[in-house]
Amino acid sequence: MTAINTRDPLPPDGMPGCALPGTALAGVLPGINACVHCGFCLQACPTYLNLEDENDSPRGRIFLMRSLLEGTISPDDQSVHEHIDRCLGCRACEPVCPSGVPYGQLLEATRATLLESRRIPHVARLILAVFARPWALRPAMFFSRILAATPIPTLMSGMRGRIGFAMAMLASTGRSIERSPYRASGTGERGTVASLRGCVMEGLFTQTNRATERVLTMNDYTVVEARGQQCCGALHAHAGDLETARKLARRNIAAFDGSGASFVAVNAAGCGAAMKEYGHLLRDDAEWHERAESFSARVRDVSELLAAAGPKPGGSMPITVTYDAPCHLQHAQRITQAPYAVLAAIPGLELIPLHDSDQCCGSAGIYNLIEPETSDAVLAPKLANIRAAGAPFVATGNPGCLMQIGAGLVRDGIGARSIHPVDLLDASYAALGQ
Amino acid sequence: MQKPPVAERLADIVGEKHVLSRQSELLVYNSDGLPGYRRQPRLAVFPGTREETIKVVRVLAADGLPFVPRGAGTGLSGGALADDVVLLGLHRLKKIISLDVANMRATVEPGVVNLRLNRHVAPHGLLYAPDPSSEAACTIGGNVAENAGGPHCLKYGVTLNHVLAITALLPDGEVVELGSATGERDGYDLRGAFIGSEGCFGVALDVTVKLTPRPETVRTLLADFMSVDEAARVTSAVIASGIVPAALEFMDGPTIRVVEDSVYAAGYPRDAEAILLIELDGLRAGVDADLETVRAICLGGGARAVKVAKDDAERMKLWQGRKKAFGAMGRLAPHLIVQDAVIPRTQLPAILKRIHAISEKYGVVVCNVFHAGDGNLHPNIAYSADDPAESERVHKAMTEIMTACIEVGGSITGEHGVGLDKMGYMESIFTANSLNAMCELRGAFDPDRRSNPGKVVPIHSCREWHGVASARAPRPLSAEPSHPAVA
Repeated sequence: MTAINTRDPLPPDGMPGCALPGTALAGVLPGINACVHCGFCLQACPTYLNLEDENDSPRGRIFLMRSLLEGTISPDDQSVHEHIDRCLGCRACEPVCPSGVPYGQLLEATRATLLESRRIPHVARLILAVFARPWALRPAMFFSRILAATPIPTLMSGMRGRIGFAMAMLASTGRSIERSPYRASGTGERGTVASLRGCVMEGLFTQTNRATERVLTMNDYTVVEARGQQCCGALHAHAGDLETARKLARRNIAAFDGSGASFVAVNAAGCGAAMKEYGHLLRDDAEWHERAESFSARVRDVSELLAAAGPKPGGSMPITVTYDAPCHLQHAQRITQAPYAVLAAIPGLELIPLHDSDQCCGSAGIYNLIEPETSDAVLAPKLANIRAAGAPFVATGNPGCLMQIGAGLVRDGIGARSIHPVDLLDASYAALGQ
Repeated sequence: MQKPPVAERLADIVGEKHVLSRQSELLVYNSDGLPGYRRQPRLAVFPGTREETIKVVRVLAADGLPFVPRGAGTGLSGGALADDVVLLGLHRLKKIISLDVANMRATVEPGVVNLRLNRHVAPHGLLYAPDPSSEAACTIGGNVAENAGGPHCLKYGVTLNHVLAITALLPDGEVVELGSATGERDGYDLRGAFIGSEGCFGVALDVTVKLTPRPETVRTLLADFMSVDEAARVTSAVIASGIVPAALEFMDGPTIRVVEDSVYAAGYPRDAEAILLIELDGLRAGVDADLETVRAICLGGGARAVKVAKDDAERMKLWQGRKKAFGAMGRLAPHLIVQDAVIPRTQLPAILKRIHAISEKYGVVVCNVFHAGDGNLHPNIAYSADDPAESERVHKAMTEIMTACIEVGGSITGEHGVGLDKMGYMESIFTANSLNAMCELRGAFDPDRRSNPGKVVPIHSCREWHGVASARAPRPLSAEPSHPAVA
């Protein structure tokens, strides 16, 4: 077979008799070698805990990767594809790994290498194609917004299967929190910020994007626009389509560099994680690597920027909230405290702890549409814990989680809604003048 | 009428997705926590309930098929490797059946993870004392099989001291009760025989454990040394003072630096040649007095500094660094070999010197991280099994280290078990009669030797085996390996 990515050089400490030389997978051999099979990752892995098979665990999948390189498993083997596809990519295994295995990178490289012997599933291919093309994305999101404003998604959310769930996801996006318009102002002295609009965020969570700009302004950042920005490419990289991911990364680097902003603010944890890794994504691109590294160093989750500024307290808002940590915020970006600082800036807000709030909700980008069965099994305990917490709002800073949890709440008739922490802070600032 | 293949009959019991028979799906089960050894199972079956487990074992018994029980696969002796036989995974049996706070005991299924049990009982002011470093992943069933220890077994004892009763499923499918929940023993202690039998006597269906009240006060000291020798001597001095620390752990320079590079960095001084982690617990008044005594012994013995953890968060950090040290060895090389010899404490300075000399002779880096308080050494070498020359040097070095430990009156395993890895040493520490007695004891539980075949006692040590192997052989799927061989 031919190598998928001929730019990946053979590693200096390459495996003797490697069955897949020159592939993206061979390029991450040092990361695979760092695994000593201790098993400390097992209990952190949502798919292992649900499916109870080590083929669906981090150390098992790393062993599959090693076996692919050793040639003891063929890249055409159907079961390997299944186990690699079933990984949520939540990266909960990374912060517990004593050897620091960069699991997320290994997974992307494996998927890229396996693309040689199969194609991405139809549903995923369609979604990825739309996301990579602004001329297709805009009308798709426009249509979704129109649909979300009608009662149709709610009516169809009771349907079985992924159509019903997709409708429940859409229905959940229409439910945020009431707030009156206010004029955001600040000194702007904390530096210039350009925010990533994103595909889903700008398409379905438009109000959260505007709220992001307002709360940053309120906390003394100067918000500027980065023209020409596109989808961050996270979903493409997760699916193994590294070429498209790189193309999108280069466009975004150019767009944000052009804005002259000191920081790139991201309110979608998955996108932020991907953009913080542009340096790794473009590591073999002589022309772009350095720019990518310096770009990644400027990327911040919106909660980081807000926490650095305090954030400034808002107006009183007597509501009860529970918080669920997005995997790509806590595991990939290792940010755990900043979202709590955002919520703490809202006087009157009562925070109810959510049991197992560090566990994945099963969204994982478009995983819930590709692997509905496993996704639902992972979601079930999350919904039970939210029900037990009894708060009417579940705050979480990632569109995938907002929709996955939101859809589960709609489908199961639980009296709570998912909401971005920034929307809560924005509502609190709106309450200041009243 | 011909019976359907065994895989189909097992799938009828546990469901199709819990039986693996494809070669590509069995690969991940070909090693445990010691990935230098690889043995490929023929079939893997994962029952989800007690009833399913009994049915599965009875099907295997009816066909005379050997099987290997496995918990979380975190063992460090190759004990859970199935060489072309059936692998019986018990990790799906993960129910905590009951918790009796007043009588301080709990009954759990074998697949319950050690740390999960501890988290479950913690709100009641209780703990389950055996705390192997793999506590975040290893199962109670596996702990029973290996008679697992851990840092705190210095004061609290090993698994044997904390298991009251076991419902065991014998390899022929019979269910028996061993021990009693009240802890009283009538007749021979069969519970004691089962604990540490490394899966050769059958599997546990449930385990009733003894829980311990959390101590009123816990203090953890970190003493660092510029010489391995001084740290080793201080270890003996602390124990000789009459104080029994809850734990007394040793880490050498290379281990410290590997841990400090990881997410579990605990703030150990990177330039130290050795550290001792000493924990004291009990009533506040006694602990405070002991703390000062231990501090004085450390400083008098050459410690550069002695730091006392200021709160629980700092204590946990110090312990996490120690407990995750094995896992962090991947920073050095992809494979790891670990030994588990127990030597008289007073021999520590001498044996550490020998280990250092042996490591230089073979050009390998030995990391020492171990339970110093009870003389339980864990020399480990990170290496690449892909390099045959390096593998050979590593294994020669390890054999020489083990020989040195045996020479000073040591035993070959403190808590990891014999498994496959240490079977070759059995004849150097036990007489033929002792080994034969072990064979006969096993015969009482598993006369056909179908449960975890080819482990612990070399088959040729069993007297009745000589000359009649073919007559007694239980139709094995393949020949049992009689000596450890490294892949």
